[in-house]
Amino acid sequence: MKGKIFKLTYIASFITSLLISINCGAQEIDVSNYRMLYNFSTVKQHDNSRVLEVSFIARNKKSKKDKIPVFDAEIDFFNILNDKEVLLGTSKTSKEGIAQLTLPENQSYLTDEEGYFNFKAVFEGTAGLDGEEEELAIKDIFIELYLSEIDSVKTVLVKAFTIDSLRVETPVEEVDIIISIGGMLSKMTLEEGYIENGEYEFEFPTDIPGDVNGDLTVYSIIDDHKEFGNVNKKETINWGVFHKQDKKENNKLWSDAAPIWMYVVLTFMLVGVWANYIYTIINLFKIKKEGVNLELESKV
Amino acid sequence: MRKVINKQQTYRTKRGKALLGHIVNTSLKYKLWIAFLLLIIVIGGYAYYRQLKFGLIVTAMRDYTSWGIYISNFVFFVAISLVGSLISSVLKLSKNEWSRPLTRISEIIAIAAIICAAVIIIVDMGRPDRFFYVITHLRIQSPIIWDVIIISTYLVISLLLLYLSLLPDIALCRDRLTAIPKWKKMLYRFMAINWNNHPKQVVMLQKVSRILAITVLPVAFAIHTVTSWLFATTWRPGWDSTNLGPYFVSGAFMAGAAVIIFTMYLIRIHLKLKKYITEIHFEKMGKLLVLLSLIYLYFNINEYLGPAFKMVGVEGEHITELFTGKYAPMYWFVQIGGLILPIILLIFRPFRKPLPIFIISLFVILGAWLKRFLIVIPSLQHPYLPIQGVDESYLHYIPTWEEWAITMSSFAWLLLIITVLIKLFPVIPILKAKLDSETIVKLNIFKNEKS
Repeated sequence: MKGKIFKLTYIASFITSLLISINCGAQEIDVSNYRMLYNFSTVKQHDNSRVLEVSFIARNKKSKKDKIPVFDAEIDFFNILNDKEVLLGTSKTSKEGIAQLTLPENQSYLTDEEGYFNFKAVFEGTAGLDGEEEELAIKDIFIELYLSEIDSVKTVLVKAFTIDSLRVETPVEEVDIIISIGGMLSKMTLEEGYIENGEYEFEFPTDIPGDVNGDLTVYSIIDDHKEFGNVNKKETINWGVFHKQDKKENNKLWSDAAPIWMYVVLTFMLVGVWANYIYTIINLFKIKKEGVNLELESKV
Repeated sequence: MRKVINKQQTYRTKRGKALLGHIVNTSLKYKLWIAFLLLIIVIGGYAYYRQLKFGLIVTAMRDYTSWGIYISNFVFFVAISLVGSLISSVLKLSKNEWSRPLTRISEIIAIAAIICAAVIIIVDMGRPDRFFYVITHLRIQSPIIWDVIIISTYLVISLLLLYLSLLPDIALCRDRLTAIPKWKKMLYRFMAINWNNHPKQVVMLQKVSRILAITVLPVAFAIHTVTSWLFATTWRPGWDSTNLGPYFVSGAFMAGAAVIIFTMYLIRIHLKLKKYITEIHFEKMGKLLVLLSLIYLYFNINEYLGPAFKMVGVEGEHITELFTGKYAPMYWFVQIGGLILPIILLIFRPFRKPLPIFIISLFVILGAWLKRFLIVIPSLQHPYLPIQGVDESYLHYIPTWEEWAITMSSFAWLLLIITVLIKLFPVIPILKAKLDSETIVKLNIFKNEKS
């Protein structure tokens, strides 16, 4: 009996200690346990506007899965050339730790002698967080996306070139490119290739359904190129092969005449049952015939 | 002028006296019972006359509740008609000899119930004179037609099953009952079709009986499944369910078993058949009722858990009304009083004694009828597309006295048919069409020369 009480007390104490230890887990975050991931990137969008983007995430040094976005950090974006710094704008990080600045197509940039734009994203720091800054150098690239039918073949033609200070177009060489189409939730890659002599040609498949009107949005994407960064271009065209049903399928049971299978199935079933009834009645007549002139032998 | 029968009936055995006595002797209690039933039928007849004269406006059925207690009653009658197949086929084929005294009771109930089900559908029609349009303008793709076909099919098989099992006993009545009116003698002579218990006759009867006992199973399942499809193919919350077929069938078996227990108790008392309908029968039927109730409980959980968990739109409103709304008292009475409590009580042997199980069965039957009410009416009051431009009162349904009178009258008809059939024929099978082994060899039944 004594042993039993001891055993129960032990189990109860163990469960209580577990609960306490779970509650103790909710501590304040110690910044020193985290490493700051400060990434700066740029995307040239289909309308030739440019997005400067900073991703500011704190990652636990011990557990890489433990990531905390830095919220409401003020990021200053600069265009720099040698000692010259031009503030392009300021943005605060979102709950996801992303700060973005969109620059219009006609934005003028300071360009170095090799044609690079130099950008800098600066976080000044706070009492709890150290300051961060990162630079990147990008060459401007222009992409033209042509969607046309050449000899009844739907063809995607991408032209990519740079423009120097004298407005001379120079075709780009050996740049990887992805051709995708837009879907409901994400883009679907159709082809990956690379641009030669400033051009890339791709025969568009003939079995992409598109939306209800047969429209498709085709994307040409340069993804994380060391010289040009991220560049997107998109066009919408009515190349979708939307497989409309030839005729509308109505509920056949609501029609004037029932489908043949229904007549067949019901006939089989009913004949199967009613044939038994007829067989029974025939046997009853036979019983009647059999019983003439015989007497009932009853036990009652 | 009525002829007085002076001849005294004599019986060869006590068994014969016990099982045939009620056919010969007519008690005052019996006459009063018939008079009572006829009175209800007359009142119901007057209510139906008013319904025919003024139309369905005399009922409480309107745009929302277009099916009222007539259809609830129809589903109930179809449900209890299944009992014939339960006892006379399922138990017979599975060689449960104990159920033999109950076969005729169940077959009689099945016939009475299916006749009343067929009639109550016509009562529900605003223009019964157009009933034959169902045949002349037949659309085989309509669930209504499936129901008409299956009800007539089930009625015929129920009549055949009863008649086949009755045949030796009708011949017995023809030969042994002397102190009965002439019309009864003529009836027995006509119905006995020269039955003499001749081995060849027995063989033929056994053969067709076995075939029908098998055939009745799919027909019985079909009748209640098709009835459930009348609802499942109609776009209303609570009916839009793939569970509805087995749900109806399992509920029907449960209600049918309860009706059998209820009826056999009354027959046992009033016809003094304690020796033939024994406590063992109540004990076994009690266990069977528990099993059938558990199956029905399982389908009930399936039926309500999904919609109650999701609580989507009108389905949610319908469920709320059943669980906590105006139908909640009835709903919980059905679930607890008509299902859960009977299961719990019948697990214990003392509750499977005749009187306790009789009372429990009464609750199950009442629950079964109210359950049909809950299947039909609350669903109709929650259409997916609201009906517009109607009076607010159309949202509610309280049956009028005409509806109650006609419904009560349908029950009176049910009881009258049962009473008359019990009065005319032995309610417990007396003779069993059976062959001894010598006769089997003589007739070469198994077609094996060497044997």
